[in-house]
Amino acid sequence: MANKDVMIEKLRSMLGDDAVCVDDKYGAGVVSAATAPAAKLVEALGVFKDTGFYLETMTALDFQDTQEIVYHLNCFEPMSRMSLRVLVGHGVSVPTASGVFTAADWLEREVREFYGIQFEGHPDPRNLLLPEDADYHPLKKDFGKVHAYRTRDEIYG
Amino acid sequence: MRSMADQFREPIVERVYTLNLGPQHPSTHGVLRVLLDLDGEFIVKADPVIGYGHRGHEKMGENRTYKQFLPNASRMDYLSGLLYNHGFVLAVEKFAGIEVPERAKYIRTVCAELNRISSHLLWFGTYVMDLGGFTPFLYAFDDREHILDILDRVSGSRLTYSYCRFGGVCQDVDAQFVDTTRSFLKRFRSRYHDYDNLVTKNVIFIHRTRGVGVITVDQARQFGVTGPNLRACGIPYDMRKIEPYEIYDRFDFEIPIGTKGDALDRYRVRLEEMEQSCRIIEQALDRMPGGPFWNEAATFKVRPPKGEIYFGFESARGQTGYYLVSDGTPYPYRCHIRVPSYGNLHVLTEVLRGTMMADAISILGSIDVVIPEIDR
Amino acid sequence: MGNQKIEPGEPVIRFALLDDILNLARANSLWPMTFGLACCAIEMMAAGASRFDLDRFGAGVFRPSPRQSDLMIVAGTISKKMGPAIQMLWDQMPNPKWCIAMGNCAISGGPFEYDGQYAIIPGADLLVPVDIYIPGCPPRPEGLIQGFLALEDKITKGEDRNILRRFHRKGGKS
Repeated sequence: MANKDVMIEKLRSMLGDDAVCVDDKYGAGVVSAATAPAAKLVEALGVFKDTGFYLETMTALDFQDTQEIVYHLNCFEPMSRMSLRVLVGHGVSVPTASGVFTAADWLEREVREFYGIQFEGHPDPRNLLLPEDADYHPLKKDFGKVHAYRTRDEIYG
Repeated sequence: MRSMADQFREPIVERVYTLNLGPQHPSTHGVLRVLLDLDGEFIVKADPVIGYGHRGHEKMGENRTYKQFLPNASRMDYLSGLLYNHGFVLAVEKFAGIEVPERAKYIRTVCAELNRISSHLLWFGTYVMDLGGFTPFLYAFDDREHILDILDRVSGSRLTYSYCRFGGVCQDVDAQFVDTTRSFLKRFRSRYHDYDNLVTKNVIFIHRTRGVGVITVDQARQFGVTGPNLRACGIPYDMRKIEPYEIYDRFDFEIPIGTKGDALDRYRVRLEEMEQSCRIIEQALDRMPGGPFWNEAATFKVRPPKGEIYFGFESARGQTGYYLVSDGTPYPYRCHIRVPSYGNLHVLTEVLRGTMMADAISILGSIDVVIPEIDR
Repeated sequence: MGNQKIEPGEPVIRFALLDDILNLARANSLWPMTFGLACCAIEMMAAGASRFDLDRFGAGVFRPSPRQSDLMIVAGTISKKMGPAIQMLWDQMPNPKWCIAMGNCAISGGPFEYDGQYAIIPGADLLVPVDIYIPGCPPRPEGLIQGFLALEDKITKGEDRNILRRFHRKGGKS
């Protein structure tokens, strides 16, 4: 069985069937997209790591009603990218994943400085790209020049 | 017996001191600053400080239409500017469902592989220059100028291209392009002999790169290392074979891999990749069809449907990805770029530990980072 | 000497006729500092490489240390984090020193300057006094060489022995 199928099974058993949607045609670049609550985040990432995945990238999205963190994970087999999404409200903090994937160390620093999402237990929460004394969060939609600020349903509804 | 002065002088108890490498230094990787904790010559801790080239590409992505973002794409990793341009165009075409004529696909592939060769050539020249040898730099740049001439003639630009457009390429190529490229390939292949004699068989080079900076597969997986650095560890992971995009599945080429994951393997993998790119270019030139080169009518209004897409492709440094979220307007809602140099640089925090200062320069050069793409 | 006020950056002791010769020597042996920030750095390297040889103008010796160089070529976008470093490097260079702003980003922020840009300093002349501006994104190496020649003219205050070169630049026919 390919890694991705093993992973989808494990995610389904952990998060429930309706939290995982599978797209074999790779239309959006991912073979499956799973939504996890913040409490199960580190556990889910641990399962990814044990199945041989690596953290490809991590980013966040800012909506009017909520913020969302998206993790993209991939393994060394063809067509196996999977995404894991966590909804966090404005000002809510999320447990850190740097204990599972060391790549998350820098990725979380970047998300924190650009979006203001705090990661509990992060060993080194300094600014990564912005100057050390920067106290603004540039990629939030209430900073600087913004073209559109929408709610989550307008895009994913 | 201690003198009176000694009683007031503080004894030096710490052997470890902090040395600042950068952000302006002769190794021309961009503005990288590494805070090194040194114990004599040995590195105890390495902490890269980045952000000196941060230009706000992702915020610009949200304030620019898809068409207006085209110049930004090349300027992130300017050494593989055409590859990034190509990747962005492919991502939006897949997202918005824009058809591309066959001829354009072949032209784009040829130009992308030429760009990959020129990026590896520049890496080769600057890496050996970092180690102290100046002559290969001149040879590499001479070859690179031939590629830049070819690309300059079709696209108008030497370094940062906007040649690939949504739906094709903005200008057709003629017979002179094909002839010049073929003669370049012939000339380039005859230069391998020179590079072998100058560098690959050079005893000093081998001593400075063999066994230096070994990256294990586990470290690669922890940090997200991709590209030639990962292939040197023995994993044949190349986006052109793993998730074939454009027309790469029609060509016959191999993925060179190494065994030990040290700097010498990384060097060999990149040299071999240049040869494989030559093979792809040859096959593409042989099979290039006639026909239209730009589906311009379909790109009058580029409005992808609501939703998102993640498009991964192989740039000269590793696996790159564009993550676009669209709300149905011509402006992206989110434009995130996954850059390979992120993980490649991050792995240095572990790999540099315990190495000597001079080896650190060799390792830094061998992983081939371009800092402005990390800083975006 | 007398009670003349000395401007900062100007020599204290002036040799009337020797000044011209000294300026000629300074102009024809400019030692640039490697200060490539972004894409323009690659064109600067290409200008120093085999095809567009900067060495024939005496300027091919790129010194990494600011204390040994007399020309700072700001090549690339200046981010806000890098601004203090540029200031420090300029201060570390000994007089006489000159500055070339290469590329659109160093002139005025380039393609990254838009209403709402938070991360860059739009132009090197906001930090250091720039002598020559070379437009382009990135400028061709020939453009950088033209900038060097213009700087040489500026140093020698327009006087140079090569009448032909001045004639070409003013649009004359060869």
